[in-house]
Amino acid sequence: MTVALVLLFLALILINVPIAVALGVMSVAAIVALGGWGAIPNVGLVMFSGATKFPLIAIPLFILAGTIMNATGISRRLIAFASAVFGFIRGGLSMVSISASMFFAEISGSAVADVAALGSILIPAMKKRGYTRNFAAAVTSSSATLAVIIPPSIPMILYGVMSGASVVELFVAGIIPGVVGGVLMMFASYLWARRNNLPVEEAFRIRRVVETFRAAGWSLLLPVIILGGIFTGWVTATEGAGLAVVAALVIGGVVYRELTFSGLRRAVLECGHQTAVVMLLVAASALLGDFLTEARVPQQVALAITGLTDSKLAILALLNVFLLAIGLFLHSAAAIILVVPIVMPLVQALGIDPVHFGLIVTLNLGIGQQTPPVASVLVTACSVAKADIWAVTRANLWFIAVLMAVLLVVTYVPSFSMALVEVFYR
Amino acid sequence: MRRVFQRMLEAIVIVIVVALAVVVVTGVVYRKAGAALVWYDEIAAILLAWLTYYGAALAALHRGHIGVPALLEQLRGRARTCVVIAGEVAVIGFFAVLAWAGWEVQSALSGTSLVSLPGVSAGLAQSVIPIGAVLFICAQLLSLPEALRGEPGAEEGTLP
Repeated sequence: MTVALVLLFLALILINVPIAVALGVMSVAAIVALGGWGAIPNVGLVMFSGATKFPLIAIPLFILAGTIMNATGISRRLIAFASAVFGFIRGGLSMVSISASMFFAEISGSAVADVAALGSILIPAMKKRGYTRNFAAAVTSSSATLAVIIPPSIPMILYGVMSGASVVELFVAGIIPGVVGGVLMMFASYLWARRNNLPVEEAFRIRRVVETFRAAGWSLLLPVIILGGIFTGWVTATEGAGLAVVAALVIGGVVYRELTFSGLRRAVLECGHQTAVVMLLVAASALLGDFLTEARVPQQVALAITGLTDSKLAILALLNVFLLAIGLFLHSAAAIILVVPIVMPLVQALGIDPVHFGLIVTLNLGIGQQTPPVASVLVTACSVAKADIWAVTRANLWFIAVLMAVLLVVTYVPSFSMALVEVFYR
Repeated sequence: MRRVFQRMLEAIVIVIVVALAVVVVTGVVYRKAGAALVWYDEIAAILLAWLTYYGAALAALHRGHIGVPALLEQLRGRARTCVVIAGEVAVIGFFAVLAWAGWEVQSALSGTSLVSLPGVSAGLAQSVIPIGAVLFICAQLLSLPEALRGEPGAEEGTLP
């Protein structure tokens, strides 16, 4: 029966039925097959309870904070500050893109929001300064992926809820890999800039750095306050997200005075839309979870893989290949919801820390956002740059290589991501 | 008709998002003041479920749910129409089952109340499932002509 249900699921996906609905249809078929039509009311119960998981409330609130900040000229201020700091280096605009992405990541948690906010300003600016449109789109797209590693991160919240791992520990585990990834991307773009003789932007002047820091100060301070509150345990991740919304409203409406009523309305609607898309998947996955438990699929997968090899390193390599392959075809939210419940028993049996594995999953699916055919972040960058997706992918190989290098280190050197978690939380 | 439907869903989604933010922030303030609200967790979780289904109907109107359109994009003419209609049947069929299941649950729970707020019916909280499912079907039908013509909706599913 499991094979027939998986085939039904794949057939529905192929005819472009939303993944959440395909999951629901497959699960309803399984429920009817196992319990008859009398079991159908369970579908209503589970689809409701699946959407009421308290830690997930952080998702709409972080999205809302990001969409409000986005409507208030924060991108412009962050770019000006990053330009004052990094603009003197050859290929400075690409460094500005990467560093501004890292700052923005600390507020939005969404890579698509990141690339949409920064790309619309930076990609045209890079083209004007002689960068090819393909490279401009590639660097903006790849650096936006840092948003899912650097806290707060919506995929990490989803993973935390699906796996039971602590969201706060996941956030902390992402800090070092996120920062190292950003620095390595800057180095890669510097090499590219030297090779292609790209220009410097502005001379380094302390006065300019101080001026732009003052202008962007509140946006830079916001993540420090919110993440500081969460990491010290003063507030939970959900409460921190609520405070981020208040802070975004105060900064946008009172300090910058750039938040209009129509901008706020658009920000709220964008938040509602994005949240619902992810949450419908989460609710449908609760139905799937019941079926997986009944059919003991995760246990069978664990047995099949440990039957092939019992080497932890080899299984981690297999999981990485599997996650990268999934990332080619699925959005990260859908991939987390489908894969995590199936592989968690295997991960636990191998003694891998769920927080460490969470970072591996997030990074893999972050790379998936850069690899066509399904690559939400890359597609957004290409649409801003008006560039061909495959041509941009060729330029993007440099940065994908950086992300892969970070993934390898995260996978095989657990202390790289776990050191801060061990020091502060264990 | 479509415009009125869209405006109505937008108004509901805006009210829920604002209510969710207000409830969470109020909860933080009261907890920090040493007077934690007993209903905070339960109401916030119910608002999230409401946002899920009312927002999902709005996203369906824009054909914004996450899917894999690669095959559909390759098809033209009759073959494309057949595939789109097969997909619509699956989606509408699923939400019809969900509406029925949700109605059964809502009816069964109408005599009970929420744990933290005894004055509020649990059936009211659960009503989002049958109502949300029917709204999703309406959104799907209202956006069907564009789907058949192959026009993109407002935006692709974009997260995260």
